[in-house]
Amino acid sequence: MSRCIELASACLGATALCLTLAAPAAAQQSFPGIGRAATPAEIAAWDIDVRPDFKGLPKGSGTVARGQKVWDEKCASCHGTFGESNEVFPPIVGGTTAEDIQRGRVKALTEPVGRTTLMKLSSLSALWDYINRAMPWDRPKSLSTDEVYAVVAYILHLGDILPGDFVLSDATIRQAEQRLPNRNGKVKYEPLWNLKGKGDVTNVACMKDCPVGAILASYLPDYARDAHGNLALQTRAVGPTRGVDTSAPSLNAPPPPPTDPALALANRHSCMACHRMEGKHVGPAFKDVAARYAGKPDAAAVLAAKVKSGGAGNWGQIPMPPNTGLSDQDLAVLVKWILSGGS
Amino acid sequence: MADPMKIRANAMGDKVIVKVLMSHEMETGQRKDSAGKTIPAWFIQQVSATHNGKTVLNAQWGPAVSKNPFLEFRFSGGKAGDKVQVTWTDNKGEKRTDEATVG
Repeated sequence: MSRCIELASACLGATALCLTLAAPAAAQQSFPGIGRAATPAEIAAWDIDVRPDFKGLPKGSGTVARGQKVWDEKCASCHGTFGESNEVFPPIVGGTTAEDIQRGRVKALTEPVGRTTLMKLSSLSALWDYINRAMPWDRPKSLSTDEVYAVVAYILHLGDILPGDFVLSDATIRQAEQRLPNRNGKVKYEPLWNLKGKGDVTNVACMKDCPVGAILASYLPDYARDAHGNLALQTRAVGPTRGVDTSAPSLNAPPPPPTDPALALANRHSCMACHRMEGKHVGPAFKDVAARYAGKPDAAAVLAAKVKSGGAGNWGQIPMPPNTGLSDQDLAVLVKWILSGGS
Repeated sequence: MADPMKIRANAMGDKVIVKVLMSHEMETGQRKDSAGKTIPAWFIQQVSATHNGKTVLNAQWGPAVSKNPFLEFRFSGGKAGDKVQVTWTDNKGEKRTDEATVG
């Protein structure tokens, strides 16, 4: 039975291809007596996706004028008369210029401004398919094919992408796509597509002198474990997400105190929240600091003053807060420890 | 030259509902750019609308109005086929007039 559920959930998330191939096989051969094969009509009703190459796009056409009519009736109440509404969702129209249409890349995307649908859209099939399958929100799939064409044409007209007399159809949709402001904005990230490649993992396996044990950066303290009740009872017993039984004591004991007294001191004064011994974190690595001060006679005094007063600009723009609560004794230990590179 | 306004005017009984989307930066004059320099104010100061040549709306705007402002208003006495004209003038003296037919 559990295999059956796995199979079913695998198919739910997949495409119509999975439905056509797996459903009859699963229902009729592997699991006799369970379900039946989907009929061609049922598959056709599900199989409505339109691919970026416009495979699956039904024949039809719609004018900008008709799109305006449909838009005012069914879309404008949420998206605004001009597709400008910013109320519930980001606006559909706006942020694109005539130069963007020429170039095929929206300049405003490189700036910290709000984003609209037309700014981001790189393949017209996505807009067509989304409206066709999901809009209007309260009555999805209620638009006819021609109405979807018309609404898409109208949206593109609002964005000054198509002229007012344009007729969008399965024959002209490619022509319209060639005017999308962000048509060249899509990047194919090769490592994620190359099945035989390495993926986008950049970490290198440690083969020698590897750190032993992980440093726990943050964890839920034991007293807060059941702050939201027993999570196990609040989560479904099926599916990939399970709640932890928070009525039982934590298995993650608090991290053992560091054996190095200087490191313990650094932890206690929250130095390690921003610094690492090696490698830049929020602040510079202690080894880098030690290297910069190496050989300077007054290094300890200068560094101690900087730790105490904080500052910014020497290692980047992220400021280091002043540490006025640090006792001179602790400070001396820490500075010595940092300058010695952690020994 | 500023981009054209988008104007939609629809007759509802004896009233006409006009919706206008203007294309304008609407800088308040209080923001600073990344170099710390103040961006000079640039906003629409005056908006007026006429129906068949007769003024039906006059508005004075300030820097509190958002970028690409949306304006909706209604007036009585209009019918389908009438002309509605909207004009804005900004603080640099730039002006833009667009026209729509009541539908």
